[in-house]
Amino acid sequence: MSFIKHWYKTFYQRVFHLDDRLLLIIAGSLAGICSGLAAVALRLSLETMLEFLHPLRHYWWAFVLPAIGAVLSSFYLEKIAREGAGHGVPEVIYSVSRYGGLLRFRSSYSRLVSSFLTISSGGSAGPEAPVVMSGSSIGSNIAKVIGLNDRQRITLVGCGTAGAIASIFNAPIAGLVFAVEVILGEWKFVSIIPIAIAAVAGAQVSQAIIPEQVLFYHHPFQVGFYDVIACLALAVFAALISVFFTKVLRQSGQLAKKSSFPLWGRAIVGGCSVGLIAMFMPVVLGEGYHFIQSMISGTFSMGILFTFMAVFAKIIATALTLGWGGSGGIFAPCLLIGSLTGIVFHKVLLLFFPEIGVATEGAYALFGMTALISGVMQAPLTGIFLIVEITGGYETILPLIVVSSISSTMSHYIEPASFYFKELIERGQFLRPGTDAKILSDLNISELIETEYTCVSENMVFREFIGIIKTSNQNFYPVTEDHTDNYKGVIHIRAIQKYALDPGIHDMIFLNQIMQSNIQTASLENDLHEVLDMMDINNMDTLPVVENDRFLGMISKTRILDLYRRELIMQTSVH
Amino acid sequence: MELSVFDLSKHLGVTTSTIERWLRQGKLPVSLRGANIKFQVKELEMWASKHNLELKITQDPAPEIAQKPEISLSSAILNGGIYIDIPGHDTESALKESISKISAVPEEHKQGLLARLLEREAALSTGIGGGIAIPHPREQVAFLDNPVVSVCFLKNDVDYKALDHQPVSALFILLCPELKMHLKLLSSLSFCLKNQNFIQFLKDQPGEDNLVSKIDLLLKDNPLS
Repeated sequence: MSFIKHWYKTFYQRVFHLDDRLLLIIAGSLAGICSGLAAVALRLSLETMLEFLHPLRHYWWAFVLPAIGAVLSSFYLEKIAREGAGHGVPEVIYSVSRYGGLLRFRSSYSRLVSSFLTISSGGSAGPEAPVVMSGSSIGSNIAKVIGLNDRQRITLVGCGTAGAIASIFNAPIAGLVFAVEVILGEWKFVSIIPIAIAAVAGAQVSQAIIPEQVLFYHHPFQVGFYDVIACLALAVFAALISVFFTKVLRQSGQLAKKSSFPLWGRAIVGGCSVGLIAMFMPVVLGEGYHFIQSMISGTFSMGILFTFMAVFAKIIATALTLGWGGSGGIFAPCLLIGSLTGIVFHKVLLLFFPEIGVATEGAYALFGMTALISGVMQAPLTGIFLIVEITGGYETILPLIVVSSISSTMSHYIEPASFYFKELIERGQFLRPGTDAKILSDLNISELIETEYTCVSENMVFREFIGIIKTSNQNFYPVTEDHTDNYKGVIHIRAIQKYALDPGIHDMIFLNQIMQSNIQTASLENDLHEVLDMMDINNMDTLPVVENDRFLGMISKTRILDLYRRELIMQTSVH
Repeated sequence: MELSVFDLSKHLGVTTSTIERWLRQGKLPVSLRGANIKFQVKELEMWASKHNLELKITQDPAPEIAQKPEISLSSAILNGGIYIDIPGHDTESALKESISKISAVPEEHKQGLLARLLEREAALSTGIGGGIAIPHPREQVAFLDNPVVSVCFLKNDVDYKALDHQPVSALFILLCPELKMHLKLLSSLSFCLKNQNFIQFLKDQPGEDNLVSKIDLLLKDNPLS
């Protein structure tokens, strides 16, 4: 037994401790498999539930179904799982950038349950973001169990994300690209390999369990020169739609927060409205994969005007579902809105140029999806690879790239923050690796504070103080109250030079007469960012740090620069 | 509004060469008009808000608050006045008699002021030596508008527990509404009192005009004022 232990220890020391690549690959594939399983579970249960509920859709009261789902979902999240509403992707990004990817274990299933309740009842949302949340939480908790550090944990969060996306779409490259482009925000050699392997593992799990693997069947498309030209226009059109979609989503959430309804009331209002829209436009219901399939294969049979209205119906239904209490992602709604947009565009194109030789409606549905994904998430690579993979159509790659890049550029021009990042940026929580905000948030006051200061009493006579400065090299002397030791002010040597050179008044003044008592002080709770602002506003290089009236130390720009630089070197060095 | 490279460098608190480097590296939005480099404030603001940057372009730096004309020791003495033949046999009685004479102090504040002066004396004597003391309160005197130095010549020399243990014959009661004035007057006063000639001059209990002109003459040579 001890032999095995010894062997294990040596092996661990030699192989894992010095170079964690193998460890990360093994743990990463485990995370990929687990999150793949979670994704498959959600997808299968959604399919079963949708089939089960399908007959009910014909009754007149079917419009309350989404409301029931939304109420259950928000009740579950609020009371049982006790987690915030929303799709969870910004939370994952924030946790990765701020807390080294620490996520709660319950996040790995809570969003699955709530989005299952929302979507299966007909709420307009996608299962992907919940699966991402669950996958990343699985990755994070695997890292916690085997005791990894922040950097390794972040890689495992990426692995979980990649596995989940790879599994739900059966699209390993899209999983990899999404994890790196959206969640981690940095392309690093050491993290890409485990993530790639996790993505493959996730996709394999999904292929093994679900027999008909491809989410959407492949149809060969004939893509010609005119299509590339037409795509330029489609991309601009779709970019506008995606900006509109993002705005409506955000507005609806804010409106719901402002409204005086209780939580369940909001869910009922949102759910019933979705149900009513669905009475006239069944296309808005659920995640809508079924409709996307019919659009790609060209069997979608709605007129121009109706399809155009369906675009907005879906946007509003999604906003009502997600903003008013439902839970789920925007991936699937993006795909559906995108394919509707593509089809509208194709129909309009044929209306004006009936003779033009362009590809079929299905191809334009693909272009539209890419444009919407790239526009809303501002992640062009994810858009391209996802669509290529889920449809298996490599021949469309050329227009896909055109559409994706134009759409993401365009929406970036109108709205520089993508849907996922907007919230974070507004809250000042968007901290990509190697940025100023990230470094300032990582360094905290207690690391920067210089504490080796001798305090002087406020009732000290100036002559005594002169004796102290003769033997010390402090530039600042904090002044404290006699009996309580409370901070009263600070004396800067430069400010008292005049008095020091005037021996006649050495016995005449006390320190509280010459100290600066009104200068700004920082406290340990302040962010470094706030402290630097205080320094700028007051035009000072050094601030006293005071907590509960106690003087703790001084914080200076020199020291900040010193540590800032070290931190920057550490954070941007290649691992 | 348009800004030149120089203006922008002032607003951002960097040198012009930094601005030029940022331009070269393509970090700032700029409109080139021939060889002239001009920044549009609106463009800069839009660019900053899009990139979530804070840009503090203020119209004009706030005008500096006009400094109050500094008050001189001689004018403070003119405010305070000179009083002679003050009776008293110790610190407390001498101060009490002096305060009651000083017309610049309103009647209702006299009692409080005396207590504060005595408190200060208890902490450390203000008798700076050479028979002179500079009584003053620790905190500034809020009820006065202008600084006041009242010179009180005592009838009898008084044991003031001065730093050089000599009896005190003259009090310079220093009352200021602001700390800054207080320190300035204290400094001027101590400069004058370092001069032995001046101390001799005080023994003759000079009149207001004489004293003021003597002080003005002395303070001309003060390197610290």
